[in-house]
Amino acid sequence: MSFTSEKRNICLAGLLIGIIAIALVFFGNPVNMGFCIACFLRDISGAIGLHRAAAVQYIRPEIIGLVLGSMILALAKGEFKVRGGSSPVTRFTLGAFVMIGCLMFLGCPFRMILRLAGGDGNAIFGLVGFAAGILCGVFFLNRGYSLKRSYQLTQAEGFLLPGAMVGLLVLLALAPSFIFFTEAGGGPGALHAALAVSLIAGLAVGALSQRTRLCMVGGIRDMVLFKENKLLLGFIAIFVAALIGNLIMGNFTPGFAGQPVAHTDGLWNALGMLLAGFGCVLLGGCPLRQLILTGEGNTDSAVAVLGLIVGAAFAHNFGLASSGEGPTANGKIAVIIGIIIVTVIACANTFGKKEN
Amino acid sequence: MICIATFFSHFGAIRFRRFCTGKGWSSQIMPVPRDLSSSCGTCVRYEDTLKETISEGGAGAPLSEEYEAFCRSMEELEQVVACTDAGYQVLYRAENI
Repeated sequence: MSFTSEKRNICLAGLLIGIIAIALVFFGNPVNMGFCIACFLRDISGAIGLHRAAAVQYIRPEIIGLVLGSMILALAKGEFKVRGGSSPVTRFTLGAFVMIGCLMFLGCPFRMILRLAGGDGNAIFGLVGFAAGILCGVFFLNRGYSLKRSYQLTQAEGFLLPGAMVGLLVLLALAPSFIFFTEAGGGPGALHAALAVSLIAGLAVGALSQRTRLCMVGGIRDMVLFKENKLLLGFIAIFVAALIGNLIMGNFTPGFAGQPVAHTDGLWNALGMLLAGFGCVLLGGCPLRQLILTGEGNTDSAVAVLGLIVGAAFAHNFGLASSGEGPTANGKIAVIIGIIIVTVIACANTFGKKEN
Repeated sequence: MICIATFFSHFGAIRFRRFCTGKGWSSQIMPVPRDLSSSCGTCVRYEDTLKETISEGGAGAPLSEEYEAFCRSMEELEQVVACTDAGYQVLYRAENI
């Protein structure tokens, strides 16, 4: 496959994913939240009782679909390769702090694009911080940062998290009393498309992302490292499709105040996404990419996903997550601590290595 | 012979490119081609002047001692493939991947 056809494919995939994101809002998801990996993992974390924020508890089928869509296609194409063992505790920690950064901003990089496409000016600050965070990560990549190699593992290891996703799907369908669901009108957790619609959307986006290696972090990273715009084109295609979709659906409301599930504190929007961008570069991909790699049998990414889920629980149990009212004092402290810890991780895995 | 080397880390690619430069091989750092791997890491595409050593034996021929020793010495090196008309021919692959 030539680079030109790769670019065409990723543009088409980006356009399709943007349309699917807008369709999910039409079918019931919160505005500017057709997809948000951070928000959806946070909702799952709440649904299984890891946090008790009643407004954000739901087992999001989109997440299940993303992992399973990627896995099905990877298996079909012979690309399901179980590997892991590359600094799992570090990856878990990075995942948790990426989530804390995302919940300061109120969205993952994917939702940042959707917020921009909805006219949410606050996401511009997020984008600036995100790009700055990626530059921080690239600084360390170019100086030797590595979490060391991964190794082949047993097939069973690779199927564990996708299997857990199937388990979550069963729990969602059966809705036993020990699973928490936001009550109608109780917050974003209560706003969702029908199970089948969300699941199919997740499967489609998971498969498309697996084929194209779509990654919100990779777009900017590759532009900086190689002047290669392929992944960035996917990023832009999602924005264009979502923008047109929002204009057609009447969901484009340019401005800063009163944006759905967003706050107007520019500094902390930027710093939250700086933490997320920095951590994602060190992890090797955005939260969406971690889910897709999990579906391909990458257990290092599965550990990062577990870190994201636990990070969401910390964020709500300790009052770190922002709300429409703005960031919390605890959240600001956590983001600063996060930036420091991620920097320490970057330094520890960069400097003092022997050159071959 | 045009070859592509993939790595477990970005910096591994940077170091390999230095090796290529030292050997006088033309080389370029770039993202891993999609048809080579579903991973999104960094690779080095380079022109290998050891082609006679590799091509004499055809597919599966042993690498030169110098080449293989270098590959093994780089813990960040994942695999090396040759770009042929028939597709990618694996020249070296790290153990347990």
